Amino acid sequence: MELDKSLVSGSMALLVLKLLEDGDKYGYQMIEELKRRSDDTFHLKAGTLYPLLHGLEEKGFVTAYEREAAAGKPRRYYHLTKEGGAALREKEESWNAYARAVGRVLKGGACCAGA
Amino acid sequence: MPERKTIQEYLAAVEEQIRWKRARPVVALELKRHLEDQRDAFAEEGSAPEEAERLAVEEMGDPVSVGTELDRIHRPRPQWGLLLLTVALAVTGALLRVLLERAGVFSHIYAADPVRTAAALLLGTACLLGAYFLDYTWLVRHAGVVYVGTLLLTGAGLLLTPRYSGGRNYYAGYLVLLFPVVYAAWLYICRGKGWKGILLAALGGVLLAALTVVVPTTAGLLTLLLAGFALMVCAAGMDWFGVGRKKTVKATLGVTAALAIFSIWRGGLSLAERLTQLLHPELDASGAGYLSMSVKTSLGLSHLLGSADRETVSPYALGVLDWPQDFLLSEMVYKLGWLPFLALAAAIAALLVWLFRRCLRQRNQAGRLIALAVVMTLTIQAVFSLFMNMGYIIVANVCMPLLGGNLHTVIDMALIGLALSVFRGSSIVRESCPESTAPSMGEGRWPHWLAAPFRNI
Repeated sequence: MELDKSLVSGSMALLVLKLLEDGDKYGYQMIEELKRRSDDTFHLKAGTLYPLLHGLEEKGFVTAYEREAAAGKPRRYYHLTKEGGAALREKEESWNAYARAVGRVLKGGACCAGA
Repeated sequence: MPERKTIQEYLAAVEEQIRWKRARPVVALELKRHLEDQRDAFAEEGSAPEEAERLAVEEMGDPVSVGTELDRIHRPRPQWGLLLLTVALAVTGALLRVLLERAGVFSHIYAADPVRTAAALLLGTACLLGAYFLDYTWLVRHAGVVYVGTLLLTGAGLLLTPRYSGGRNYYAGYLVLLFPVVYAAWLYICRGKGWKGILLAALGGVLLAALTVVVPTTAGLLTLLLAGFALMVCAAGMDWFGVGRKKTVKATLGVTAALAIFSIWRGGLSLAERLTQLLHPELDASGAGYLSMSVKTSLGLSHLLGSADRETVSPYALGVLDWPQDFLLSEMVYKLGWLPFLALAAAIAALLVWLFRRCLRQRNQAGRLIALAVVMTLTIQAVFSLFMNMGYIIVANVCMPLLGGNLHTVIDMALIGLALSVFRGSSIVRESCPESTAPSMGEGRWPHWLAAPFRNI
């Protein structure tokens, strides 16, 4: 399914932080993981991911360090910081509130249209 | 838009958009690795090598917009405030040296030459800016060369340059001020090497300490010991060697204590004798306590603002106040009053606190160690000097940073420039993380291979 771009871009930081919640990852891994978890809905371009990650690092939400990945190649891993965790929870809450509100409106519309 | 088919072309297009040269290779490396992963994945799915590379590049997105976004994030962080404060303090020091000492009784011997002082100020500013624009990572990347080079240079200084009448070597005495920074670079070599790393760190410290004993400079030795201790504690906090934080702290305490005991023993004077001299200089007012008594007498006569009346001064004060460099601050109190001195001391304290706060916020581990070495060197000198100028001489031959002496100021300015270079580049400098060293900040769930080094803590 092709998604409206503006719908995705605002929430991308939330998704990236969420991906790091259960372990440190490098960029390529994050894109693959996001694809897998969203059943191929989110196809994040690397050109979007890296500026986003570097921006989050600047804000102190993630830290980065280098180490060898499974294949023995050095990769740059990102790690969620305490501040990043707090930001994630905040973003999750506001996303959930937004999704509930949209859901209510859509449900209401469906109900009225059906009436 | 020209089509970019190869990884090299893509990276070149991204790099063109990034204005800060230092950021380019760092950013390009990460993107390159990503592109290669993607290319290999396409190749595994059955694409021909050239086709796989083209698809990987296409998958990445527009290089110009990626480069522009990264350029916006990776900018040097100018340190104008700290640069200005440093230069202002150095200018104040130069003025004080020229104006105060020219009015002294022994001005024909010790007067600071205005031309030489101005030249030193210019050279110091050049060093400050030079170090500021320097990529400080060079120091850690070539830590071995820096360390051995310092040993050789100090050795050459010891052999070839003149000595003071007291026996202290002139140039080597100044080089010692660089030892803590050199030691911080040395620690970089020891990173992630476990107990072998700790042993190397200890040996590196002992060798530098031995050189300070040969110079000889007790102030240099104490500065190195205290700064080295702070650096090792900071390294322990980051589990620098990968043997656990507590074990690193214990090893550091052991080595520092051993060195301190050796130094006291080597110093010849017993600690009790030194303490008596420090706290009761009046017991030997014309001998070991002479300098302390002179300073205290002069300070006792000083006013809040304005010069003390020279007619009422005891014979001590006349001599010592004209000593250059070391007693510049007590001379300032005596000739200008307590208020100007307090204002100047507050400005130096502000500079040191400012540097220290920046240092604590530094995320890059090697950068944090280098900046900490600079801050510790300056702070220890400042504290010893302050005590000395109040008549409590813990060690001799220390100057207040940026104020005492031409060559001293040049070195202080170069050191501060180096710390500012760390702060300036903090948005981009990256580091590798060896197998046993995991990032130390933040919390979260750790994969087992990352949690392993912390199990012993």
